[in-house]
Amino acid sequence: MEYDENGVSIVPADLKKEIFEEARKDFRYEEYVRGCLNCGVCTGGCPPHRFFDFSPRIVLQKMKSKDPELIWTMMDEYVWACFQCFTCAMICPFLNSPGGVIAILREIAVRRGFESAKKVLKPYSRVLLKLTAYGNQLSPDMIQPDFFPDWGPHIGYASTDLSVKRKAIPMPTLQVTNLAWDVAPETMKELYDIFDEAGVFKIIESVDPSLYEIIQDIVDDVRSS
Amino acid sequence: MAIEISNRLGLANVKSDFIHTAGRKLEDIHERLLELEAKGEVKVIHIKEENKPIEAETLLGWKKKIPTNKLWHHKSCGQCGNIPGYPVSLLWFMNQMGIEYVDERNQTSCTAWNYHGSGTSNPVGLAAVAVRNWHRAYELGLFPLFHCATTFGDYKEMRNLLVENKELRDEVRRIMHKIGRDLVIPEYIVHYSEWVHVMRFEIAKLKKYDLSSVIATVHPACHTYKMIPEDCIYDKDIYAGKRTAVSTGVMLALGAQVADYSTWYDCCGFGFRHILTEREASRSFVMDRKIRPMVREAHSDVCITQDTGCTTTLDKNQWIGKAMGYTEQVPVMADVMFAALVCGADVFKIVQLQWHTTDWRPLCEKIGIDWKKSEQEYNAYLEELKAGGKTVNLYEYPKS
Repeated sequence: MEYDENGVSIVPADLKKEIFEEARKDFRYEEYVRGCLNCGVCTGGCPPHRFFDFSPRIVLQKMKSKDPELIWTMMDEYVWACFQCFTCAMICPFLNSPGGVIAILREIAVRRGFESAKKVLKPYSRVLLKLTAYGNQLSPDMIQPDFFPDWGPHIGYASTDLSVKRKAIPMPTLQVTNLAWDVAPETMKELYDIFDEAGVFKIIESVDPSLYEIIQDIVDDVRSS
Repeated sequence: MAIEISNRLGLANVKSDFIHTAGRKLEDIHERLLELEAKGEVKVIHIKEENKPIEAETLLGWKKKIPTNKLWHHKSCGQCGNIPGYPVSLLWFMNQMGIEYVDERNQTSCTAWNYHGSGTSNPVGLAAVAVRNWHRAYELGLFPLFHCATTFGDYKEMRNLLVENKELRDEVRRIMHKIGRDLVIPEYIVHYSEWVHVMRFEIAKLKKYDLSSVIATVHPACHTYKMIPEDCIYDKDIYAGKRTAVSTGVMLALGAQVADYSTWYDCCGFGFRHILTEREASRSFVMDRKIRPMVREAHSDVCITQDTGCTTTLDKNQWIGKAMGYTEQVPVMADVMFAALVCGADVFKIVQLQWHTTDWRPLCEKIGIDWKKSEQEYNAYLEELKAGGKTVNLYEYPKS
């Protein structure tokens, strides 16, 4: 992949046009992109704007321009800065939702397996595995000092005697270490069917083929149990 | 340079007769949902008398019924994974009050944390997962209560999208039939903090400690009041109806002082993906935009939250601030955890503060709670369990 002087990947003009059309055809698009006064109140309240080169006003203005070239400049790193807090949507006088637009653009980026999306999501694969294979996003055994050293020395509390500490939680559903709660296999199977039918597994295959293989092995085991 | 400190107490108690209209012309989705039900398009999980509902007012003055009984607990991945005292405190209160509920294995994640972090889903997938879990509550004859703010925000959005889009309804119905379920939608999407809010005066009757010297700062979760804002509780007697009333309401009912701070509207810095893989952004945000203003402006003794990600982010990212010379620290816990603590729930066995990283012991000592005794009893309990002892549970889930 080649990049221009602004770090934006160089792709054919036809692809840029396709991306814009794909976003515009999304059934949520008209709800999220309305009139824009360019007032900037969304950017004034935007949390990631304080730390990243990111502005929800620019997101809306580029979408309103209907210029595929401009919209493409957001498809690599730009869309991944958003915190998805929806402060922008809450305070917009015109009820636009720049956060919603970002969600649509991210979906396109992962569905099409863009290199930038693969790179951003690579460190995220452990979470994707847990969620899609077991129906929970976070498990107690993931909270370990080697993964979260910046959370301080007390994070090691979960490293020792985790199973007995979890057993001491007075909710039977929570007395496991490898899941947030003990999800029944029949429930996982329903989730797999949903992911199959909604194309979620296919999305993961496009963004991380090797992770997809691991997930499918687990899915096959659970389905045959 | 001198730091200007202004202890701005009292705004939480400001009253007003003003009703928010905010220029918004929004349809009440609840009415359209009932129209679809009348046409036979969807089934609705109604709030019945047996759910003992209490009515509350939302942003635009609409009424919202909050069921208080016969509930199906829709748990949160992050709470159950690393803040176990969050759901345990809620179940503890329900046991104290004789509330009927089910907590079981037959529930999936809402998958919305993943969606907002990675984009690896779509509206059909999100809506189908939502309806799958709603249907499980429906077949048990219970009303679903959602523990996580992102679940709450996502499910409000999915309900609206399902009501407004026939194509989405048809696709989700097809998937539901494939897994032996049906398209059902709850009459209202209800967050646990709304249950706490409408039950706050009952909760306050259980109070064991005087909180008049405790200063709390409230961090409202973005996905409760910024996603589908018209479906969030506001009260003209709390912040004059200009901010969401949940969490602040229970703190006032318990007799704590709720202090204002300049960045109350900011998010916590969670960012869904950032908290896991781009943490320098999250931790900078936590210290610069939330914890330091809470401590320097309001002298906060405790930061009160109402969501999974916020509690995690605000609690876990204070220690690293010392690397930048930031000395401000404040314990973080959810409204229901703090309420349980001051109503006599055990610090370790119920509120489970031992999992939190920012020191909460000075807060306990200020309130008058003997955490050392609780710790000793808990450690003895762990030894019993190691020796093969049985857990004393709040609830036993159905085995089948």
